[in-house]
Amino acid sequence: MQFLPTLLVGLRQSLWIIAAVIAIGLPLAFCLALMVMSKHRLISAVGLVIVEVGRGMPALVILYLVYYGLPRFGLNLTNIASVIGALAWNYSCYCSEIIRAGILSVPKGQLEAGQALGLKPRITFLRVVAPQGLLSTIPGLMGQTILAFQDTSLAYTIAVPELMKQAYSLGGESFQYLRVFVLAGLVYAAVTLPSTWITTWVERRINTAY
Amino acid sequence: MDTQRNESEDFMLELGAITKSFGKNTILHQVSLRVRKGEVCSIIGPSGAGKSTLLRCINLLEQPDSGNMSLNGNFYDVSFPLRQDELLSLRRTCGMVFQSFNLFPHMTVLQNVVFPQRHVLRRNESEAREVALKLLDRVGLKNKASSHPTQLSGGQQQRVAIARALALEPKLMLFDEPTSALDPELAHEVLDVMRELADSGMTMVVVTHEMNFARTVGDHLVVMADGHKIEEGIPEAIMDHPQQSRTRQFLSAVNH
Ligand SMILES: Nc1ncnc2c1ncn2[C@@H]1O[C@H](COP(=O)(O)OP(=O)(O)O)[C@@H](O)[C@H]1O
Ligand SMILES: [Mg+2]
Repeated sequence: MQFLPTLLVGLRQSLWIIAAVIAIGLPLAFCLALMVMSKHRLISAVGLVIVEVGRGMPALVILYLVYYGLPRFGLNLTNIASVIGALAWNYSCYCSEIIRAGILSVPKGQLEAGQALGLKPRITFLRVVAPQGLLSTIPGLMGQTILAFQDTSLAYTIAVPELMKQAYSLGGESFQYLRVFVLAGLVYAAVTLPSTWITTWVERRINTAY
Repeated sequence: MDTQRNESEDFMLELGAITKSFGKNTILHQVSLRVRKGEVCSIIGPSGAGKSTLLRCINLLEQPDSGNMSLNGNFYDVSFPLRQDELLSLRRTCGMVFQSFNLFPHMTVLQNVVFPQRHVLRRNESEAREVALKLLDRVGLKNKASSHPTQLSGGQQQRVAIARALALEPKLMLFDEPTSALDPELAHEVLDVMRELADSGMTMVVVTHEMNFARTVGDHLVVMADGHKIEEGIPEAIMDHPQQSRTRQFLSAVNH
């Protein structure tokens, strides 16, 4: 139990990272989804490459590429910025596919109703299609966020003092690895399990939304 | 010369040789059609005849391959996509009612009718509300203004859809089998609203299987089969004395 305060300091760092990943990743995901759905072949192809590469590589590989690779091109990021950048890319790629599926799930009749009324395409998209499509994506996005939160533990590999790194250090100092990691696991679970319950609850609410 | 111009002014809609194909299949073969101002034109025919496609070519939900069109005095060559502003103004002139209603489920009934007015006609909120409530009253649904569409019966949803289209003051109303998704008793209330609309002088093109409506409300009847207009004229005349064997077949099938 004496480890808990230190682990909670690490948890604060982890939560800070995931908050930044969400803040950057979600808008990026929306843009990527729009790019992939674009009628412009080139824009769509570029979007698709970004998304597929981002989803194809494990988050750890992306993290190393950002942290060790970008300095070669003269771009030196701090370790925290590297984690946020790498996870945000990975996260936004998965989220963009969720968003795209949500938007495509809106019945075609909704788009046609907007067109037939003489609404501008932008208004039809923003006020008719997107609100309906995005509502159904909320549970999926929450689930993805929980996974991304677990991925923040990868940051320990580049010495970001988040929860996993704190656990590792405590283990090294006390040689009580098992106890420390069980405790760290419980701290992660204390965040992710309630989040999962909330996700399930939101999902049920949305299914009865209209 | 003068008589010709006057005659042209009598028509709300003139379709000239509209051709449309999907891939290799030609769905509409040079279909022409004229609808007078204030007239109710019913289109009947077997399923797959191209009735919906023809209707959707009028407001360019489908882009025809070739043909031309005159709507409320404006001429359009529809062989090519229109410019965005032309397209929006054309669509502003026609209202459309779909078989599946297509109300916006995330908005209340009132918002469904208010929101398009705000954007298409740039009406302010209070004016748009006033118009919406008046129209909802006209279709008998003022008391449902704050409900969501899914809380309404199909017949009620379709009446809201009619109100939503009318709020934009269209010159021409297009109906694509507006009662086909409804039970007969619910279809009735929608047909009553359409009858009242026709009596008020609205020009309407109605794709329908309701022979009684086509006969009693319709002024003009068009029969389609296999992408062709095979017969047209006064509804009673065609229903009682069809000239084409395809028409006879179709009529005996619907009257079983
Ligand atoms: N978007 C589309 N793509 C391919 N074929 C279509 C499409 N829409 C309609 N069709 C075909 O066009 C024909 C006419 O369809 P439609 O106009 O809906 O007929 P109707 O309304 O008279 O039943 C049908 O054979 C249908 O399969
Ligand atoms: Mg049809």
